[in-house]
Amino acid sequence: MEKVKVMIVDDSRVSCAMLEGILSKTNFEVCATAKNCAEAVEQFKRSRPTVVTMDMNLPDADGIECSRLIHGIDPHVKIVMISAMKDAKLMLQGRAAGISSFLQKPINTNELIDTMMILCQQKVGTIAVYRESYVVPFAKAMQQSLFQLLGVDCEPRIDLDETGFLEVDGVAVIVGLTGYPLGRLIVYMDKEAMAHFTRTMLNESADADVSDAEACDAVEEAANIIGGRGVSRINDIFKDKEIRVTPPGTICGTEIRIANPKLTSFKITAATPWGNIYMNVGFAGGE
Amino acid sequence: MDAKLVNPFIDAFMTVLPQIGFQEPTRAAMNVKDKMTQSLGVTIIVGFTKQIRGNVVYNMSEDTAKYIASTMMMGMPVESFDEMAQSAVSEMSNMLTANAATNLAAMGLEVDISTPSLSVGSEFQVKISNEKYLTVTMDVSGHPVEIDIAVQ
Repeated sequence: MEKVKVMIVDDSRVSCAMLEGILSKTNFEVCATAKNCAEAVEQFKRSRPTVVTMDMNLPDADGIECSRLIHGIDPHVKIVMISAMKDAKLMLQGRAAGISSFLQKPINTNELIDTMMILCQQKVGTIAVYRESYVVPFAKAMQQSLFQLLGVDCEPRIDLDETGFLEVDGVAVIVGLTGYPLGRLIVYMDKEAMAHFTRTMLNESADADVSDAEACDAVEEAANIIGGRGVSRINDIFKDKEIRVTPPGTICGTEIRIANPKLTSFKITAATPWGNIYMNVGFAGGE
Repeated sequence: MDAKLVNPFIDAFMTVLPQIGFQEPTRAAMNVKDKMTQSLGVTIIVGFTKQIRGNVVYNMSEDTAKYIASTMMMGMPVESFDEMAQSAVSEMSNMLTANAATNLAAMGLEVDISTPSLSVGSEFQVKISNEKYLTVTMDVSGHPVEIDIAVQ
Protein backbone atom coordinates (compact mmCIF):
# COMPACT_ATOMS: atom_id res chain seq x y z
CA MET A 1 0.00 0.00 0.00
CA GLU A 2 1.25 3.46 -0.90
CA LYS A 3 2.42 5.51 2.07
CA VAL A 4 0.54 8.69 2.88
CA LYS A 5 2.73 11.78 3.39
CA VAL A 6 2.34 13.82 6.57
CA MET A 7 3.84 17.13 7.67
CA ILE A 8 4.08 17.94 11.38
CA VAL A 9 3.87 21.58 12.43
CA ASP A 10 4.85 22.02 16.07
CA ASP A 11 7.40 24.23 17.81
CA SER A 12 8.11 21.60 20.44
CA ARG A 13 10.75 19.08 19.48
CA VAL A 14 9.32 16.63 21.98
CA SER A 15 5.86 16.77 20.39
CA CYS A 16 7.35 16.30 16.91
CA ALA A 17 9.34 13.29 18.05
CA MET A 18 6.29 11.73 19.70
CA LEU A 19 4.14 12.14 16.62
CA GLU A 20 6.90 10.81 14.41
CA GLY A 21 7.22 7.83 16.70
CA ILE A 22 3.50 7.04 16.52
CA LEU A 23 3.27 7.47 12.77
CA SER A 24 6.41 5.44 12.01
CA LYS A 25 4.45 2.28 12.85
CA THR A 26 1.66 3.05 10.41
CA ASN A 27 0.98 3.63 6.78
CA PHE A 28 1.70 7.33 7.28
CA GLU A 29 5.14 8.72 6.55
CA VAL A 30 6.43 11.97 7.97
CA CYS A 31 7.87 13.86 5.01
CA ALA A 32 8.49 17.20 6.73
CA THR A 33 8.45 18.94 10.08
CA ALA A 34 8.15 22.67 10.70
CA LYS A 35 8.60 24.64 13.93
CA ASN A 36 6.86 27.84 12.85
CA CYS A 37 4.32 29.17 10.38
CA ALA A 38 6.79 30.53 7.81
CA GLU A 39 8.69 27.25 7.75
CA ALA A 40 5.40 25.33 7.48
CA VAL A 41 4.34 27.23 4.36
CA GLU A 42 7.80 26.74 2.80
CA GLN A 43 7.92 23.04 3.60
CA PHE A 44 4.35 22.50 2.45
CA LYS A 45 5.08 23.96 -0.99
CA ARG A 46 8.14 21.76 -1.31
CA SER A 47 6.90 18.39 0.00
CA ARG A 48 3.13 18.53 -0.70
CA PRO A 49 1.90 16.25 2.08
CA THR A 50 -1.64 14.80 2.09
CA VAL A 51 -2.10 15.46 5.81
CA VAL A 52 -0.79 18.20 8.09
CA THR A 53 -0.88 18.00 11.88
CA MET A 54 -1.04 21.53 13.29
CA ASP A 55 -0.16 22.81 16.73
CA MET A 56 -2.23 25.77 17.96
CA ASN A 57 0.63 27.86 19.33
CA LEU A 58 3.42 28.77 16.96
CA PRO A 59 6.04 31.48 17.57
CA ASP A 60 5.15 33.63 14.54
CA ALA A 61 1.39 33.01 14.11
CA ASP A 62 -1.35 30.82 15.51
CA GLY A 63 -2.27 27.41 14.10
CA ILE A 64 -5.48 28.73 12.58
CA GLU A 65 -3.68 31.43 10.59
CA CYS A 66 -1.07 28.91 9.47
CA SER A 67 -3.84 26.48 8.43
CA ARG A 68 -5.50 29.23 6.41
CA LEU A 69 -2.28 29.85 4.47
CA ILE A 70 -1.70 26.16 3.80
CA HIS A 71 -5.32 25.55 2.83
CA GLY A 72 -4.98 28.48 0.41
CA ILE A 73 -2.11 26.67 -1.33
CA ASP A 74 -3.98 23.34 -1.58
CA PRO A 75 -7.70 23.22 -0.74
CA HIS A 76 -7.60 19.39 -0.72
CA VAL A 77 -5.11 19.13 2.13
CA LYS A 78 -6.35 17.50 5.33
CA ILE A 79 -5.35 19.46 8.40
CA VAL A 80 -5.64 17.97 11.87
CA MET A 81 -5.40 20.52 14.67
CA ILE A 82 -3.75 19.21 17.81
CA SER A 83 -4.08 21.53 20.77
CA ALA A 84 -4.46 21.55 24.51
CA MET A 85 -7.72 23.42 24.18
CA LYS A 86 -10.71 22.34 22.11
CA ASP A 87 -13.74 24.53 22.39
CA ALA A 88 -16.61 25.51 20.11
CA LYS A 89 -15.14 28.90 19.17
CA LEU A 90 -11.79 27.41 18.23
CA MET A 91 -13.48 24.70 16.18
CA LEU A 92 -15.66 27.23 14.36
CA GLN A 93 -12.69 29.42 13.45
CA GLY A 94 -10.67 26.35 12.58
CA ARG A 95 -13.29 24.93 10.23
CA ALA A 96 -13.42 28.28 8.42
CA ALA A 97 -9.63 28.10 8.00
CA GLY A 98 -9.87 24.64 6.43
CA ILE A 99 -9.09 22.42 9.40
CA SER A 100 -10.77 19.02 9.01
CA SER A 101 -10.41 17.59 12.47
CA PHE A 102 -9.54 18.59 16.03
CA LEU A 103 -7.71 16.50 18.60
CA GLN A 104 -6.83 17.35 22.14
CA LYS A 105 -3.48 16.88 23.86
CA PRO A 106 -2.31 14.51 25.18
CA ILE A 107 -2.75 12.55 21.98
CA ASN A 108 -4.28 9.11 22.12
CA THR A 109 -2.45 7.00 19.55
CA ASN A 110 -5.49 5.17 18.24
CA GLU A 111 -7.50 8.33 18.02
CA LEU A 112 -4.81 10.03 15.96
CA ILE A 113 -4.39 7.14 13.55
CA ASP A 114 -8.11 6.56 13.14
CA THR A 115 -8.77 10.23 12.53
CA MET A 116 -6.06 10.39 9.92
CA MET A 117 -7.22 7.20 8.25
CA ILE A 118 -10.77 8.46 8.00
CA LEU A 119 -9.60 11.76 6.58
CA CYS A 120 -7.57 9.94 3.95
CA GLN A 121 -10.13 7.28 3.15
CA GLN A 122 -9.83 7.74 -0.57
CA LYS A 123 -6.08 7.48 -0.35
CA VAL A 124 -5.77 4.65 2.15
CA GLY A 125 -8.87 2.87 0.88
CA THR A 126 -12.18 2.29 2.58
CA ILE A 127 -11.42 -1.38 3.08
CA ALA A 128 -8.27 -0.68 5.08
CA VAL A 129 -10.13 1.85 7.24
CA TYR A 130 -12.98 -0.56 7.95
CA ARG A 131 -10.55 -3.34 8.69
CA GLU A 132 -8.22 -1.49 11.02
CA SER A 133 -10.70 0.79 12.76
CA TYR A 134 -13.75 -1.44 13.04
CA VAL A 135 -13.10 -5.09 12.28
CA VAL A 136 -9.94 -5.46 14.36
CA PRO A 137 -11.75 -4.28 17.54
CA PHE A 138 -14.47 -6.89 16.88
CA ALA A 139 -11.85 -9.59 16.39
CA LYS A 140 -10.19 -8.60 19.68
CA ALA A 141 -13.55 -8.60 21.45
CA MET A 142 -14.19 -12.07 20.04
CA GLN A 143 -10.82 -13.38 21.22
CA GLN A 144 -11.32 -11.95 24.71
CA SER A 145 -14.91 -13.22 24.99
CA LEU A 146 -14.10 -16.74 23.80
CA PHE A 147 -11.23 -16.92 26.23
CA GLN A 148 -13.50 -16.01 29.10
CA LEU A 149 -16.46 -18.12 28.00
CA LEU A 150 -14.72 -21.24 26.68
CA GLY A 151 -11.24 -20.96 28.13
CA VAL A 152 -9.62 -21.18 24.69
CA ASP A 153 -7.18 -18.63 23.41
CA CYS A 154 -7.49 -18.28 19.66
CA GLU A 155 -6.07 -15.61 17.44
CA PRO A 156 -8.98 -14.80 15.11
CA ARG A 157 -8.21 -14.51 11.41
CA ILE A 158 -9.70 -11.65 9.40
CA ASP A 159 -10.47 -12.08 5.71
CA LEU A 160 -12.23 -9.76 3.32
CA ASP A 161 -15.37 -11.61 2.28
CA GLU A 162 -15.81 -11.29 -1.45
CA THR A 163 -18.46 -13.96 -1.94
CA GLY A 164 -21.39 -11.64 -1.21
CA PHE A 165 -23.21 -14.24 0.87
CA LEU A 166 -22.68 -16.69 3.70
CA GLU A 167 -23.99 -20.20 4.08
CA VAL A 168 -25.23 -21.36 7.45
CA ASP A 169 -26.29 -24.75 8.79
CA GLY A 170 -27.62 -24.39 12.28
CA VAL A 171 -27.92 -21.04 14.02
CA ALA A 172 -26.92 -17.56 12.83
CA VAL A 173 -27.48 -14.48 14.94
CA ILE A 174 -27.74 -11.13 13.20
CA VAL A 175 -27.10 -7.92 15.14
CA GLY A 176 -27.60 -4.62 13.34
CA LEU A 177 -25.16 -1.72 13.74
CA THR A 178 -26.56 1.79 13.57
CA GLY A 179 -24.79 5.14 13.60
CA TYR A 180 -21.57 5.38 11.62
CA PRO A 181 -20.67 3.13 9.96
CA LEU A 182 -23.98 1.45 9.32
CA GLY A 183 -23.89 -2.31 9.07
CA ARG A 184 -24.51 -5.60 10.75
CA LEU A 185 -22.66 -8.50 12.28
CA ILE A 186 -23.55 -12.17 12.10
CA VAL A 187 -22.26 -14.80 14.52
CA TYR A 188 -22.43 -18.47 13.56
CA MET A 189 -20.52 -21.64 14.36
CA ASP A 190 -19.57 -25.06 13.04
CA LYS A 191 -21.99 -27.70 14.35
CA GLU A 192 -19.70 -29.26 16.96
CA ALA A 193 -18.39 -25.88 18.11
CA MET A 194 -21.99 -24.71 18.55
CA ALA A 195 -22.91 -27.81 20.59
CA HIS A 196 -19.84 -27.47 22.79
CA PHE A 197 -20.39 -23.74 23.20
CA THR A 198 -24.03 -24.26 24.17
CA ARG A 199 -23.18 -26.99 26.70
CA THR A 200 -20.51 -24.79 28.24
CA MET A 201 -22.86 -21.82 28.51
CA LEU A 202 -25.55 -24.02 30.08
CA ASN A 203 -23.04 -25.77 32.32
CA GLU A 204 -23.98 -29.21 31.01
CA SER A 205 -21.95 -32.38 30.60
CA ALA A 206 -20.10 -33.19 27.38
CA ASP A 207 -22.64 -35.80 26.26
CA ALA A 208 -25.80 -33.76 26.92
CA ASP A 209 -28.14 -33.22 23.99
CA VAL A 210 -28.50 -29.68 22.76
CA SER A 211 -31.88 -28.53 21.48
CA ASP A 212 -32.30 -25.91 18.74
CA ALA A 213 -33.81 -23.49 21.22
CA GLU A 214 -30.83 -23.87 23.57
CA ALA A 215 -28.37 -23.38 20.72
CA CYS A 216 -30.28 -20.26 19.61
CA ASP A 217 -30.08 -18.79 23.10
CA ALA A 218 -26.38 -19.60 23.48
CA VAL A 219 -25.29 -18.17 20.12
CA GLU A 220 -27.49 -15.13 20.75
CA GLU A 221 -25.69 -14.57 24.01
CA ALA A 222 -22.32 -14.90 22.25
CA ALA A 223 -23.39 -12.33 19.64
CA ASN A 224 -24.60 -9.94 22.34
CA ILE A 225 -21.39 -10.23 24.31
CA ILE A 226 -18.96 -10.03 21.39
CA GLY A 227 -20.97 -7.38 19.55
CA GLY A 228 -21.38 -5.26 22.68
CA ARG A 229 -17.71 -5.45 23.56
CA GLY A 230 -16.59 -4.74 20.01
CA VAL A 231 -18.80 -1.68 19.81
CA SER A 232 -17.53 -0.44 23.19
CA ARG A 233 -13.97 -0.70 21.93
CA ILE A 234 -14.86 1.29 18.82
CA ASN A 235 -16.86 3.93 20.70
CA ASP A 236 -13.93 4.37 23.07
CA ILE A 237 -11.88 5.61 20.14
CA PHE A 238 -14.48 7.54 18.15
CA LYS A 239 -16.14 9.45 20.90
CA ASP A 240 -18.28 11.58 18.64
CA LYS A 241 -19.62 8.86 16.33
CA GLU A 242 -21.38 6.39 18.50
CA ILE A 243 -22.28 2.99 17.07
CA ARG A 244 -25.23 1.21 18.63
CA VAL A 245 -26.36 -2.39 18.35
CA THR A 246 -29.91 -3.51 17.60
CA PRO A 247 -31.45 -6.49 19.40
CA PRO A 248 -30.44 -9.82 17.83
CA GLY A 249 -32.43 -11.56 15.12
CA THR A 250 -31.79 -15.29 15.06
CA ILE A 251 -32.05 -17.66 12.14
CA CYS A 252 -32.16 -21.40 12.66
CA GLY A 253 -32.37 -24.16 10.05
CA THR A 254 -30.42 -25.94 7.36
CA GLU A 255 -28.82 -24.65 4.19
CA ILE A 256 -29.62 -21.02 4.75
CA ARG A 257 -27.95 -18.42 2.60
CA ILE A 258 -27.60 -14.92 3.99
CA ALA A 259 -26.94 -12.39 1.25
CA ASN A 260 -24.88 -9.24 1.74
CA PRO A 261 -25.84 -7.09 -1.18
CA LYS A 262 -23.81 -3.89 -1.29
CA LEU A 263 -21.93 -4.48 1.95
CA THR A 264 -18.19 -4.46 2.45
CA SER A 265 -17.86 -7.45 4.71
CA PHE A 266 -15.18 -9.31 6.60
CA LYS A 267 -15.16 -12.84 7.91
CA ILE A 268 -13.52 -13.30 11.29
CA THR A 269 -12.67 -16.92 12.03
CA ALA A 270 -11.74 -18.21 15.48
CA ALA A 271 -10.47 -21.80 15.47
CA THR A 272 -11.36 -23.80 18.58
CA PRO A 273 -10.66 -27.49 19.31
CA TRP A 274 -14.36 -28.15 18.51
CA GLY A 275 -14.46 -26.37 15.19
CA ASN A 276 -14.66 -22.79 13.99
CA ILE A 277 -16.64 -19.90 15.39
CA TYR A 278 -17.32 -17.17 12.85
CA MET A 279 -18.32 -13.57 12.88
CA ASN A 280 -19.12 -11.76 9.67
CA VAL A 281 -19.01 -7.98 9.98
CA GLY A 282 -20.37 -5.92 7.10
CA PHE A 283 -20.61 -2.19 6.52
CA ALA A 284 -22.66 -0.20 4.06
CA GLY A 285 -19.97 1.41 1.93
CA GLY A 286 -19.70 4.67 0.08
CA GLU A 287 -20.95 7.01 2.76
CA MET B 1 -45.80 -4.96 22.98
CA ASP B 2 -47.85 -1.87 22.27
CA ALA B 3 -50.12 -2.46 19.25
CA LYS B 4 -49.92 1.16 18.18
CA LEU B 5 -46.27 0.60 17.25
CA VAL B 6 -47.45 -1.59 14.38
CA ASN B 7 -49.22 1.22 12.55
CA PRO B 8 -46.06 3.10 11.50
CA PHE B 9 -44.91 -0.06 9.71
CA ILE B 10 -48.25 -0.67 8.00
CA ASP B 11 -48.49 2.99 6.99
CA ALA B 12 -44.98 2.80 5.54
CA PHE B 13 -45.98 -0.23 3.49
CA MET B 14 -49.13 1.48 2.20
CA THR B 15 -47.19 4.65 1.33
CA VAL B 16 -43.99 3.27 -0.16
CA LEU B 17 -45.31 0.44 -2.34
CA PRO B 18 -47.44 2.62 -4.65
CA GLN B 19 -44.39 4.90 -5.04
CA ILE B 20 -42.29 2.06 -6.43
CA GLY B 21 -44.78 0.77 -8.95
CA PHE B 22 -47.20 -1.46 -7.02
CA GLN B 23 -50.98 -1.40 -6.80
CA GLU B 24 -52.18 -0.22 -3.43
CA PRO B 25 -51.66 -3.11 -0.99
CA THR B 26 -54.35 -4.25 1.41
CA ARG B 27 -54.16 -5.53 4.95
CA ALA B 28 -55.07 -9.21 4.91
CA ALA B 29 -54.55 -10.42 8.48
CA MET B 30 -53.09 -9.60 11.86
CA ASN B 31 -51.85 -12.20 14.32
CA VAL B 32 -49.83 -12.70 17.43
CA LYS B 33 -46.75 -14.91 17.29
CA ASP B 34 -44.57 -16.31 20.00
CA LYS B 35 -40.78 -15.93 19.65
CA MET B 36 -40.34 -17.72 16.32
CA THR B 37 -41.72 -17.45 12.85
CA GLN B 38 -41.29 -19.93 10.02
CA SER B 39 -39.56 -18.36 7.04
CA LEU B 40 -41.68 -18.42 3.89
CA GLY B 41 -38.49 -18.72 1.84
CA VAL B 42 -37.12 -15.18 1.74
CA THR B 43 -36.74 -13.28 4.99
CA ILE B 44 -35.30 -9.83 5.48
CA ILE B 45 -34.44 -8.60 8.97
CA VAL B 46 -33.90 -4.93 9.72
CA GLY B 47 -32.93 -3.91 13.25
CA PHE B 48 -33.61 -0.57 14.88
CA THR B 49 -32.44 1.14 18.03
CA LYS B 50 -32.40 4.44 19.97
CA GLN B 51 -35.63 5.38 21.79
CA ILE B 52 -37.15 1.99 21.05
CA ARG B 53 -35.19 -1.12 20.10
CA GLY B 54 -36.35 -4.05 18.07
CA ASN B 55 -36.46 -5.82 14.75
CA VAL B 56 -38.80 -5.88 11.81
CA VAL B 57 -38.97 -8.89 9.52
CA TYR B 58 -40.34 -8.93 5.98
CA ASN B 59 -41.21 -12.52 5.23
CA MET B 60 -42.35 -13.79 1.82
CA SER B 61 -42.14 -16.71 -0.58
CA GLU B 62 -39.49 -16.75 -3.28
CA ASP B 63 -42.24 -16.28 -5.86
CA THR B 64 -43.44 -13.15 -4.12
CA ALA B 65 -39.86 -11.91 -3.83
CA LYS B 66 -39.37 -12.41 -7.56
CA TYR B 67 -42.65 -10.63 -8.30
CA ILE B 68 -41.56 -7.70 -6.14
CA ALA B 69 -38.11 -7.53 -7.72
CA SER B 70 -39.61 -7.68 -11.20
CA THR B 71 -42.12 -4.90 -10.47
CA MET B 72 -39.40 -2.72 -8.93
CA MET B 73 -37.29 -3.23 -12.05
CA MET B 74 -40.05 -1.93 -14.33
CA GLY B 75 -41.47 -5.34 -15.14
CA MET B 76 -38.16 -6.90 -16.17
CA PRO B 77 -38.62 -10.70 -16.06
CA VAL B 78 -36.96 -12.27 -13.00
CA GLU B 79 -36.36 -15.96 -13.67
CA SER B 80 -34.29 -16.77 -10.62
CA PHE B 81 -33.93 -14.95 -7.32
CA ASP B 82 -30.42 -13.80 -8.18
CA GLU B 83 -28.19 -11.11 -6.74
CA MET B 84 -29.94 -8.31 -8.59
CA ALA B 85 -33.37 -9.45 -7.39
CA GLN B 86 -32.01 -9.83 -3.84
CA SER B 87 -30.70 -6.28 -4.00
CA ALA B 88 -34.08 -4.99 -5.11
CA VAL B 89 -35.95 -6.71 -2.26
CA SER B 90 -33.32 -5.59 0.27
CA GLU B 91 -33.67 -2.05 -1.01
CA MET B 92 -37.45 -2.22 -0.62
CA SER B 93 -37.04 -3.40 2.99
CA ASN B 94 -34.68 -0.53 3.63
CA MET B 95 -37.12 2.01 2.17
CA LEU B 96 -40.03 0.56 4.14
CA THR B 97 -38.16 0.63 7.43
CA ALA B 98 -36.74 4.12 6.83
CA ASN B 99 -40.27 5.34 6.13
CA ALA B 100 -41.54 3.59 9.28
CA ALA B 101 -38.73 5.30 11.21
CA THR B 102 -40.02 8.68 9.98
CA ASN B 103 -43.54 7.71 11.10
CA LEU B 104 -42.19 6.66 14.51
CA ALA B 105 -40.35 9.98 14.82
CA ALA B 106 -43.67 11.75 14.23
CA MET B 107 -44.94 9.86 17.31
CA GLY B 108 -41.97 11.17 19.27
CA LEU B 109 -39.94 7.96 18.97
CA GLU B 110 -36.56 8.44 17.33
CA VAL B 111 -35.03 5.30 15.83
CA ASP B 112 -31.95 4.51 13.77
CA ILE B 113 -32.17 1.54 11.45
CA SER B 114 -29.50 -0.98 10.48
CA THR B 115 -28.77 -2.40 7.05
CA PRO B 116 -31.15 -5.18 5.93
CA SER B 117 -30.01 -8.81 6.12
CA LEU B 118 -31.66 -11.07 3.57
CA SER B 119 -31.82 -14.82 4.17
CA VAL B 120 -32.92 -17.44 1.67
CA GLY B 121 -33.66 -21.09 2.36
CA SER B 122 -36.35 -23.72 2.10
CA GLU B 123 -36.54 -24.63 5.78
CA PHE B 124 -35.63 -22.21 8.51
CA GLN B 125 -37.05 -20.30 11.41
CA VAL B 126 -36.55 -16.73 12.52
CA LYS B 127 -36.56 -15.57 16.11
CA ILE B 128 -36.74 -11.84 16.81
CA SER B 129 -38.09 -11.77 20.32
CA ASN B 130 -38.22 -13.69 23.56
CA GLU B 131 -41.86 -12.85 23.87
CA LYS B 132 -45.02 -12.58 21.84
CA TYR B 133 -45.08 -10.08 19.00
CA LEU B 134 -47.44 -8.88 16.30
CA THR B 135 -47.48 -9.89 12.70
CA VAL B 136 -49.44 -8.34 9.86
CA THR B 137 -49.98 -9.91 6.47
CA MET B 138 -50.22 -7.47 3.59
CA ASP B 139 -51.61 -8.46 0.22
CA VAL B 140 -49.72 -7.05 -2.77
CA SER B 141 -51.77 -7.94 -5.87
CA GLY B 142 -52.40 -11.44 -4.57
CA HIS B 143 -48.87 -11.87 -3.18
CA PRO B 144 -48.76 -12.06 0.62
CA VAL B 145 -45.99 -10.29 2.52
CA GLU B 146 -45.80 -10.95 6.24
CA ILE B 147 -44.44 -8.15 8.44
CA ASP B 148 -43.30 -9.19 11.93
CA ILE B 149 -42.63 -6.41 14.39
CA ALA B 150 -40.93 -7.01 17.70
CA VAL B 151 -40.08 -4.18 20.09
CA GLN B 152 -38.19 -4.82 23.30
